[in-house]
Amino acid sequence: MLQMSWLIPLFPLLSFILLLLFRKSVKESTAWIGVLLTWLSLVLSIGVFLAVWHGGGIKVEGTWFQLGKKMITMGYEVNPLNALMLVIVSLVSFLVHIYSKGYMHGDERFPVFFAYLGLFSFAMLGLVLSPNLLQLYMFWELVGLGSFLLIGFYYFKPEAKAAAKKAFIMTRIGDVGLFIGMVLLFWQAGSFEYDEIFASIKNGEIAQNMLTLTAVCIFVGAVGKSGQLPLHTWLPDAMEGPTPVSALIHAATMVAAGVYLVATMYPLFQASHTALTIVAVVGGVTAIFAASVGLMQKDIKRVLAYSTVSQLGYMMLSLGASGYVAGVFHLTTHAFFKALLFLAAGSVIHAVHTQNIEEMGGLWKKLKLTGPLFLIGALAISGVPLLSGFFSKDEILASTYADGKYGLFWLAVIAAFMTAFYMFRLFFLVFTGEPRSTEHSNVKNVHESPSVMTFPMIVLGLLAIVAGYVNTSWFGTFLTDYLAQGPVDLSHAEHHTPVWIPFVATGVALLGILLAYLIYQKKTISRDWLTRVLPSLSDAVYNKWYVDEGYDQTVVKGTRGLSKLGVLFDRYVVEGLVSAVTASVRSLSKFGSRMQDGQVQSYGTFAIFGIVLLLLIVALTGGYFS
Amino acid sequence: MSSVPLTAYLMLALILFCIGLFGALTKRNAVIVLISIELMLNAVNINLVAFAKYSLFPGLKGQIFALFTITVAAAEAAVGLAILIALYRNRQTVNVDEMDTMKR
Amino acid sequence: MNTWLLTILIFSPLLGVLVLLFIPSSDEKSIKTIGVLGTLFVLGTALVTLSAFDIKGSDLQLTETYRWISYEVFQSKGEVSYPILYEVGINGLSMVLILLTAVVSLLAAIASFSIKQNWKSYFILFFILEVGMLGVFASQNLFLFFIFFELTLIPMFFLIGRWGYLEKEKAAYSFLIYNGIGSAILLIVFVVLFMKTGTMNFDRLAETLALPQAQLDQMFITKSFKMGMLIALLIAFAVKLPVAPLHSWMVRVHVQAPPAIVMIHSGILLKIGAYGLIRFGAGMFPKEFHSLAFVIGLFGVINLLYGAFIAINQTDFKRVLAYSSVSHMGIVLIGLAALNDAGVTGAVFQVVSHGLISALLFFLVGALYERSGTSELKAFGGLAKNMPILAGVLLAGGLASLGLPGMSGFISEFMAFLGLFHKMPILAAVGTLGLILTAVYVLRAVMAITFGSENEQQSGYPDLSSAERIPAFVLLTVILFIGIYPAWLSDMLRPALDAILLGLGG
Repeated sequence: MLQMSWLIPLFPLLSFILLLLFRKSVKESTAWIGVLLTWLSLVLSIGVFLAVWHGGGIKVEGTWFQLGKKMITMGYEVNPLNALMLVIVSLVSFLVHIYSKGYMHGDERFPVFFAYLGLFSFAMLGLVLSPNLLQLYMFWELVGLGSFLLIGFYYFKPEAKAAAKKAFIMTRIGDVGLFIGMVLLFWQAGSFEYDEIFASIKNGEIAQNMLTLTAVCIFVGAVGKSGQLPLHTWLPDAMEGPTPVSALIHAATMVAAGVYLVATMYPLFQASHTALTIVAVVGGVTAIFAASVGLMQKDIKRVLAYSTVSQLGYMMLSLGASGYVAGVFHLTTHAFFKALLFLAAGSVIHAVHTQNIEEMGGLWKKLKLTGPLFLIGALAISGVPLLSGFFSKDEILASTYADGKYGLFWLAVIAAFMTAFYMFRLFFLVFTGEPRSTEHSNVKNVHESPSVMTFPMIVLGLLAIVAGYVNTSWFGTFLTDYLAQGPVDLSHAEHHTPVWIPFVATGVALLGILLAYLIYQKKTISRDWLTRVLPSLSDAVYNKWYVDEGYDQTVVKGTRGLSKLGVLFDRYVVEGLVSAVTASVRSLSKFGSRMQDGQVQSYGTFAIFGIVLLLLIVALTGGYFS
Repeated sequence: MSSVPLTAYLMLALILFCIGLFGALTKRNAVIVLISIELMLNAVNINLVAFAKYSLFPGLKGQIFALFTITVAAAEAAVGLAILIALYRNRQTVNVDEMDTMKR
Repeated sequence: MNTWLLTILIFSPLLGVLVLLFIPSSDEKSIKTIGVLGTLFVLGTALVTLSAFDIKGSDLQLTETYRWISYEVFQSKGEVSYPILYEVGINGLSMVLILLTAVVSLLAAIASFSIKQNWKSYFILFFILEVGMLGVFASQNLFLFFIFFELTLIPMFFLIGRWGYLEKEKAAYSFLIYNGIGSAILLIVFVVLFMKTGTMNFDRLAETLALPQAQLDQMFITKSFKMGMLIALLIAFAVKLPVAPLHSWMVRVHVQAPPAIVMIHSGILLKIGAYGLIRFGAGMFPKEFHSLAFVIGLFGVINLLYGAFIAINQTDFKRVLAYSSVSHMGIVLIGLAALNDAGVTGAVFQVVSHGLISALLFFLVGALYERSGTSELKAFGGLAKNMPILAGVLLAGGLASLGLPGMSGFISEFMAFLGLFHKMPILAAVGTLGLILTAVYVLRAVMAITFGSENEQQSGYPDLSSAERIPAFVLLTVILFIGIYPAWLSDMLRPALDAILLGLGG
């Protein structure tokens, strides 16, 4: 089974190629090609996962090309971490393929959509299987391409165009960080291979400053991909893409690639305390920042997007606080419940044809399946006990506390409160109360989505409930034991945490839900008290803390200004120099032609002066032969 | 005789040549220009004769060349004057400034 | 050993000229057919050459030497004979560039179907241009190199000046003047080198110049003289490449010349500059090149950023691509400045890769221009709807240009930067800014054309015809192939580059 793991990414690639070639002839039945091929990937992934569970592992590499004496290799590697990722990615991809069959029904470019999904799945699975940084980087960029194509799938919409461009460029900024980190590491360790890099770190062949520098550079790549703080703005905008895409790429897989990168390179980060602290701080600040923005958004998908940013912040925080297992655990559970939430949101959008939550309401009775499933997702993400999110979030809080990062711990607790609040604000506004139909939407006549869409949601709903039990202190820490087989040293991860942490986590979650209930269901607290009390704060939150505007004013304007300056320089200085040269040549030639006056006498005069000059030179220099 | 050194002859020739050159390049009247050219030729003659006498191997070659030059100069003066007269007949002038057909 | 193969290859385009002479100039169809068949024949000959070429062999191969001109010069030492030989031969580097020339020329000939008038003289000039390009890469001495180098200028001048757009004459003259200055400098360097060393052969020149300084002093070759020669060479090829302040002619040519000619110009002619830098700069003056490495790297980064910053603000697609060429040539300099395996390989990869990518993009510009009569970005929008194939290929070309992994552009950028990071990490880090800017301007331009809502006028345009698909798909395939399997190219290049690197001591 393990020897066949290289086939896993190739099935979606095959799907991509087939669908692009035959897109005209197969029409909507293309969906089944995509579904079938991703199903094969899924089956293989599960097989590989089981093999690894029983202690297997494989690494196969061959020379890609030769650079001087160094061989640059390509290949595939299966270890506990990436086997887990394989299952998550191929499972979500498979479910999203099925879901899209219903969601994209009737779209003119239906086959193209599935082709792009195939391309993305190929890149993501390839990324996960990579045994070295270079290969990871290549797939990393291809994943970005898939995301770009799918965000811009509605190419005629100006917002989608802008969002796709923004996503590509913002993540590219991060990618350059990764690129620099990778190249620097190559010259330090002499290889792109994870194993060799880790070996030379272990042997202390790399200076401490260099370790920190490379770790931070690589983290910049993760920041770009995972929508962490300074580079997060593309992720909410990416919601312009079709909703299944948001579920697959911008909730479960690609954005988690940043977390996966940090987890894969964990020995590097462990070697530098500074780098770990940076990861933790960025993660923690992002978690609370994005959660605060999520409080006031009106677009159902944007709320979920900010929630994703916030949860990714949690994972980073956990990794930064030495909570390797907790980070990976949360990545797993989050993939399920966030994909579920997005698919449910897609189902809602499919039914009411709007994304504005102010225009929904009272959908609980009409969407008999979507409603409860959304509730499961919301409960899971809020950290209500017994659902998956509770366990993973609890572990993150515990490891943060155990690592002594108390400030970040309390930030994370507040963020957990906000998470519960905005998720249930969403739930109450969408599913309860009176339908608030407007001219844009038809909240009155809605129907439940077809079973091809509800089936994936049900699967994800089940997983969102049970996924948490893979790593609990009650039944056993299967995940910890499993990951301990990997290359990361988890020995010092054992820690004793105060028993009150789960209670605090549960308490703030329930408090958040209660507050949302009071405001949006009971309406005992006025909805806009914050707007009245602190208008500037609520404005800032509503406008996402003006980050986009800030970037527009500084980076975008700066680049544009520099570019204009460059154009002016090109036009006036460079071209000016050229015209100065031509002008001087022209005036010289005018002078020359003026000397050609037709007078033999003046010609003679010039000739004489010329001879005199030459003779003078010879007399002064002494000529060639002396 | 031999008290006059070679440099004196050469100086004389140089001065004559420069006067001739100056005249040939600056005078407006074509007749004067022709005469100036004669002057330069004569400067050359002086040089030839002087070197014939004072060079390392004195001989008659230089003097013979001077005779040739005088002959050529006479012929040249005749042709030059003939051209000049033909030109005068056509254009009623011997002013060199107006003879700039080379430019056109 | 004299095989005639290379000479046949160099002059194989003349067969096309010969046939064309017998075709009446009004017979458009057969002229164009012969244009394509002629370049196809050249490609065939090039492939035969490739099969005769031993990829693993490190030396010069398929060499031919004939006595050509010789004359005696009387010097104080006695009579010295200066023979000028006809010497051709190829190593891996030349082989790759010859293949590139043959492929791009064939595709440009297909793209020339859109030429509206004077087909016969167009194709005759086209073939002569191809002779020049092949000769430049195959010649093994300075004299021959220079002759072929000049041979590319003259047909190019007429091709731009007669078949270009509105300001074609101005573009043609600025092409001729800039390149004339470059050639003049080159000629001076060549003549001086010839007079000092008495040989024009590349290898023997390199050997002579690598002699110990004491021996060189006897030949009146001082250190500062060598440095001066190198700087002059760098300037001459910097005009051709072009390097930042000397680029305005190239932008003009790119905008004004017919797209098929720009394919050749941007795809191959600019690469002669890079070839010259590698062959003469690094190959003959390795020590001096070493000491100038920082300056070259600096110019590379300036080129990269300067071109990118200006490309962001252009409204004409052709101008975007022209400045993108400036920017991409910066990567060649960056790679060369690194002076190690990775860098120099990256520079050569960039030469090949940019040749293919810009040929593809200009081909598409031509296709767009033929349909709409403009290349202004504003005139387009939403092409993905009615012309999905053109839009898809354009997007793919743009992505290749911004260095997406899996395509050839990535390999070259990656290796060039990998090399430079080893030597000058801070400069390289500044240069990586260019990677972001490239993404910005490429996406801006490509998305302005393919994304967004379409305007009414465009709905009538047909998608790429099957004749147009051939060049587009062939180029795309080669770009992808190099991107996925670079070893094919790097194995062929390694012996030649190793020899150069050995001289550089890197």
